[in-house]
Amino acid sequence: MTFTRRTLLAAASAAAILAQPFAASAADLPKNIRMVIGSTSTGGDTYQAASIVADALSEKLGANIKVDAVGAVNGFKALERDSRGTTIMLFHDFAYLAELYGGKGFVNPFEAFTVGATIANNPGNAYLVGANSPYQTMEDILTAAENGERVRVAIQPGGVSEIGFSAMKNAAKVRAPGSEENIVPVNTGSQSDKNQAMWDGLADVINGSIQANEQFTQLDGDDQKAMRFVWITASPETLAEAPEAGMGKLTRDGMLDYASPATSVTLDGTQDFTFDKEFFLIFNKDMDPALIDTIDGALAEIYDEGEIQKKETAAFFTPNFRPSAEAREHLMEKRETYKKVIAEISG
Amino acid sequence: MGNLTHVTIDFDSSHLIFPALTGCILGLLGLAILIRDRRAILASGAHWRRILGETDKMRFFGTLALTVLYFSAMVPVGDIWPNTGMGFLLCSIPLVALSGLLFMRDRTLRKTVPLMIVAVAAPLLVWWLFTDLFFLTLP
Amino acid sequence: MDILAFISPLFVLLAIGGTLVGIIFGAIPGMTATMAVAVCLPVTYSLGLENGLALLLGLYVGGISGGLVPAILLGIPGTPSSITTTLDGHPMAKSGHGEKALRIGICASLVGGLVSLLILDLFAPTLADFAIKFSYVEKFLIILFALSVMAALSSDLLLGIFSGFLGIFISLIGTYDVTKGGNGEWRLIPPGTEYWLESGFSLLPVLIGLFGLAAILDEAETGMKAGMSRKDVRIGQHEKFSLTIFKGQWVNLIRSSCIGTFVGILPGVGGSAASILSYSNAKTFSKNPEKFGKGEPAGIMASEAGNNGLTGGALVPLLSLGIPGDSTTALLIGAFTLQGVQVGPLFIGNNPVTWDAMILAMLIANIAMFVLMYYAIRYFAMVVTVPKCILFPVILMMCVIGAYTINYGIMFDVWTLLIFGVFGWLMAKIRLEVAPFIIGFILGPSAEVYFVKTLESFGDLTIFFTKSWIAVFLWVLIALSVGGSAYLQTKKAK
Repeated sequence: MTFTRRTLLAAASAAAILAQPFAASAADLPKNIRMVIGSTSTGGDTYQAASIVADALSEKLGANIKVDAVGAVNGFKALERDSRGTTIMLFHDFAYLAELYGGKGFVNPFEAFTVGATIANNPGNAYLVGANSPYQTMEDILTAAENGERVRVAIQPGGVSEIGFSAMKNAAKVRAPGSEENIVPVNTGSQSDKNQAMWDGLADVINGSIQANEQFTQLDGDDQKAMRFVWITASPETLAEAPEAGMGKLTRDGMLDYASPATSVTLDGTQDFTFDKEFFLIFNKDMDPALIDTIDGALAEIYDEGEIQKKETAAFFTPNFRPSAEAREHLMEKRETYKKVIAEISG
Repeated sequence: MGNLTHVTIDFDSSHLIFPALTGCILGLLGLAILIRDRRAILASGAHWRRILGETDKMRFFGTLALTVLYFSAMVPVGDIWPNTGMGFLLCSIPLVALSGLLFMRDRTLRKTVPLMIVAVAAPLLVWWLFTDLFFLTLP
Repeated sequence: MDILAFISPLFVLLAIGGTLVGIIFGAIPGMTATMAVAVCLPVTYSLGLENGLALLLGLYVGGISGGLVPAILLGIPGTPSSITTTLDGHPMAKSGHGEKALRIGICASLVGGLVSLLILDLFAPTLADFAIKFSYVEKFLIILFALSVMAALSSDLLLGIFSGFLGIFISLIGTYDVTKGGNGEWRLIPPGTEYWLESGFSLLPVLIGLFGLAAILDEAETGMKAGMSRKDVRIGQHEKFSLTIFKGQWVNLIRSSCIGTFVGILPGVGGSAASILSYSNAKTFSKNPEKFGKGEPAGIMASEAGNNGLTGGALVPLLSLGIPGDSTTALLIGAFTLQGVQVGPLFIGNNPVTWDAMILAMLIANIAMFVLMYYAIRYFAMVVTVPKCILFPVILMMCVIGAYTINYGIMFDVWTLLIFGVFGWLMAKIRLEVAPFIIGFILGPSAEVYFVKTLESFGDLTIFFTKSWIAVFLWVLIALSVGGSAYLQTKKAK
């Protein structure tokens, strides 16, 4: 193969050095950077989000950035060991949710590390029921719980997949204290396990995503595999950024029907609970703040140019760049909200 | 009947079920082996003395020592030039050369020269292939 | 099919080139098909969907096939799915029939690949509907069936099964993985080692440690006696190879291909189980099972037809459910989403051109794999004539690369290599058996999840027997396999 990523990258970065005044001021940033991600899959959304931003940053900074899918535990370890800025991390809300859910070995990233810029959302987090389910809406599900019906929800415990489930329990508690006991988890693993739990009749509701499950909602009702969306956890602001055509047969307007405010899972009786799966950078605690500023500056230019947004949208991400300081504040606030939800239902 | 086979699993402690089960089976099998092979096990001192006596000590322990040294040196050396794979490259060349010499019987110049060429060329080729072409991280 | 819509010289070239690179990855101990696809995935952004898929599928087929080369010639499985190839292939190579063993393996790979492709092309959606009838119970039984091969592989039944359970036990060290359905708690971690062991030992470093490093240590211990010469491996002598060797083996070949395909279809069961199950079946139904493990061609056929059968099978759930059948096809989902193609049950209907392109790419890749490998055999076979003082240091270096890169740069994986290298050497000294151990190690985590999840969901032990007719059928197979091994052992004892 003559078209390696490196050659393409080298050509691109050479062009970038010639064309961009920015490259000169970024001289203090290491030339070889390793971007570890919190997922071990190189086919998943974290890897895609990371490679989009890594490619853009490489070009902008004239540096060589490799994305390594080492997983959460090993990613944090690698980040801990390197304060020179040669290792940076990209991850999503799991980074702090894992600690909130008491995940073994996880710490609060806002204390142990420096949280940096947000770069994109994956708006796809959703909950589904079987096509023949008696539940049409979240309202039905919460009412059923109120009436003493046990509703089993298939999730992967301890992170992004569980937070929506926690919110359901919380909403049930707000509506009718005690009814949250009727919303029970079915602890499974991957998406395939969650689907299978529904097909085996072990779960009434499953956690899924627009990307992975939309086609199942297009199937005929008599097909065992057919499903229906009941809830999309993303905020209406995030969904507004999604492509208008949506995904498959589900248009953006269609998505909004399953999301707040049309589909309401209440947070405290007045506000709706929403969850956007956000991707953001994490740095070593002792990394030189000037380097973080350099990265922020480069990202700001990249997002100003507007090319990266097209790439992100094409891969069904919604771009949401926030520089480090702003991102940190936003994410800490988010963490506080979820901390309360989790405390409510376990306390 | 129904009660005998019924089990309830607490998710929070479900990580211990299978290890405990496997551990028990392992213990029983181990016990069976102890009983069956008790003579051989009691006589194992002689077995190990014989093995140790026949071992090519220099090559065996030399290989172990070189491997440990190689693995230990890779990360510190690589840290001098982060994320370039230099740790791998600079440690592999001496490793291949030294372990090659260690493994070689009657070390003649005619045999040593090709080894030295391989010792430089192979790590260099592999390093280029993986860091440059395949874009993977090496120590 | 409207082939003109996508076929171009580039398409064919990419499929062939991908196959070649895949073979190289597969042939390097510790590098896998998954790694090859992961490494080349970014290149496909610029190639467009059909051309990109041609490259990736080539890599996939090549990567799965390449593993047989070191498995046969060096006794080191190039990928986890070629472990059972080692069992009969390496003894053949040691007795000077390496070239023949390679030819058998390559032919069997082709059959496996083509059979599974045919099944994929004709029955994909139907099979996917069948596959979702497999709940935790049936999946556990499949794993149990694969584990029953431990008995068949043991030369001493008691020690072999003990080794197998030891493998399972060691595979459980670390975190009960949440992504597989666990609760994320730690177990079996000796105090003080949490920092390294919380993720447990990775399969690949363990594998190349046990087979690769242990072999080097063993040679070092015995003083690196002179290796094989050209004469010993009969290169250039053209040991007569004709298809007659496959006579009476067609049932084995087809059965193994189908088993491989079917294991591929079941999401989560794992690729290595394909060749293990095929091998175990071939032994159970063979007329001379006692020859297995000593250089029996039928063993190589079963193993290689099985692991190549996987390739087509693993695409079934990917294309008809949007669920990957193994770790490599999981990466293909990434390729699709990056190109804005949605996966799920409607994929084939919505993307007929892509579907045709994939079938064609697989066909080209399988043929290219066969041609490339068949004609490169004599060069491969030369590997064994390289002096050990050059070969072993290079193998050691390659093992390090494999261990370090498999999880994208984790140094503990390299130390795992050393730990299991020494452990493998020790095992041989105390007569523990490596083959059952590694099979236990590979299948242990799946066995755990499916067993515990079954009890968690159904709460009753009888469910293992009463869930479905599939479960009953699997019990019959397990009984046959275990009974067969026990019978052989007693016959041997007499």
